[in-house]
Amino acid sequence: MLLHVEPDGAVPIYQQIRDRVVEAIADGALPAGSPLPSIRQLAVDLGVNYHTVNKSYDILRREGFVQLGRKSGAVVRRDPTAGPPTPGYLEDWAARLRTLLAEAAALGVDGPEIIHRCERTVAGFHLPSTPRAPAPAGDPPASAGTLPSHAPTDDRNR
Amino acid sequence: MELLSSVLPVVLLGTCLSLIPVLTRPGLQFGVRVPPDRVDAPVIRQQRRHYLWWTGSLTGGFVVAAAGLAAGTSPLAAGLIPMLIIPAQLGTATAGYLVARHRIRQAKDAQDWYHGLTQVIAADTSWRTEPERFPIRWALPSVAVLAVTAVIGAVRYPSLPERLPIHFTWSGTPDGWAGTSALSAFSLVATQLLVTLLIGALLVAGFRSRPDLDADAPGRSARRYRAFLQITARSVLALAALTNLGLMLACLQMWQLVRISGATAALPGLVGGVIVLAAAVRTGQAGTRLREPAGDEPAGDEPATDTAHRDDDRFWTLGIFYANRDDPAVLVPKRFGVGWTINVANPRTWPMIAVVIVLIIAPALLAAL
Repeated sequence: MLLHVEPDGAVPIYQQIRDRVVEAIADGALPAGSPLPSIRQLAVDLGVNYHTVNKSYDILRREGFVQLGRKSGAVVRRDPTAGPPTPGYLEDWAARLRTLLAEAAALGVDGPEIIHRCERTVAGFHLPSTPRAPAPAGDPPASAGTLPSHAPTDDRNR
Repeated sequence: MELLSSVLPVVLLGTCLSLIPVLTRPGLQFGVRVPPDRVDAPVIRQQRRHYLWWTGSLTGGFVVAAAGLAAGTSPLAAGLIPMLIIPAQLGTATAGYLVARHRIRQAKDAQDWYHGLTQVIAADTSWRTEPERFPIRWALPSVAVLAVTAVIGAVRYPSLPERLPIHFTWSGTPDGWAGTSALSAFSLVATQLLVTLLIGALLVAGFRSRPDLDADAPGRSARRYRAFLQITARSVLALAALTNLGLMLACLQMWQLVRISGATAALPGLVGGVIVLAAAVRTGQAGTRLREPAGDEPAGDEPATDTAHRDDDRFWTLGIFYANRDDPAVLVPKRFGVGWTINVANPRTWPMIAVVIVLIIAPALLAAL
């Protein structure tokens, strides 16, 4: 997996590392079980402080993406094929998605364009089209309003 | 022969110094970080030309001086001529480098070369999860030469005379003596051991260092760096084996088993030096001169036009000394030259510096005893 970090960007470096790893898991570059470099190794390769990478890995561990073992090192714990997320996750995610989509809406991006972008992004992940149990009813939280917050996950293009 | 021994080191060093700008990464010109769209800037082409002229003509001058001095002195003094000329060569080349670096920096600052570019650091996680394998088999020859020398020494030691010749004239006549002891008889075997351990340790550290990938083509530069490591390790291990062979010849001379001239003893090390130089010219720093077969470039590696490797000039004093407190790396790729340099701001580097200094001083102390 190729990792790009913008050291002078608006987003903190630890957040960038976390985001890139999550994206790599989603698009299949890092399937479950893939090893990641140790904290020190990745800090050396990026030339950033040890604690920066430590923070990223700690977040990834807390969010359930990676497992940190004393012997095994950092390993990707789950990927798109590893089943549904933990209960309650979707609501939390939809709230954050709402903010992100609202940003575009507020700046004048129209609905179809927003949907189109979402579809394209999800298509880029090449998610496996394994049959899954129908999504539980009452999935979209009330706060999601008219924006189809769960559409990207359901609208798998393959 | 004396002429050759005083001129050859000058020629080799002069060639190395003149070649450095050709071997460095395009994004690092005379120790200055340069964005991809500026690697062909007029100021860079001009400074490369100037530096080549400066070092090239000076090398010519130094060669003539070395030859003239060698012709005018005794054979004993001829061996000392490179000691006189090499510092002058290094000094003048450094001056040429600093001038070129200064001019390029001026242009970079004046024209704000990084304006509008996104500065990026790139890393490849497979660099660590599928690390490049150290060519351990290439270390066997130097270990074998060391072992053979030690065995011959052990067999010969009981029958050595009271006094051991420890210094020889260039033609191989002994002119320095020491009382025979395990220390004096095996000092060169200890040197062989140090050479083997030091080179092995530095190469292993090199394999674990960061490749410092090009942000605009990380995949390609990662593959090149892997090839660079393999070629460099093999050439340097060949140098270690040949150096040990030269030390073995010197041992046999000391143990009065053969009688050879200084040139014969120096020849293996010289061949090794040429091998390392040839490998460096072949690969360039970090494999930058290695070309991949056409059509072999995997997709998804297209250079992005608006991104550039982070401008990290502020961590490099004179483009030579690297000091970055936040960087946990000990070894980093050199900016001007082929190979690695150390991060002097990292406390983990300091014991390593101490060990290297001790290892360099120890043989000198042993010889003095």
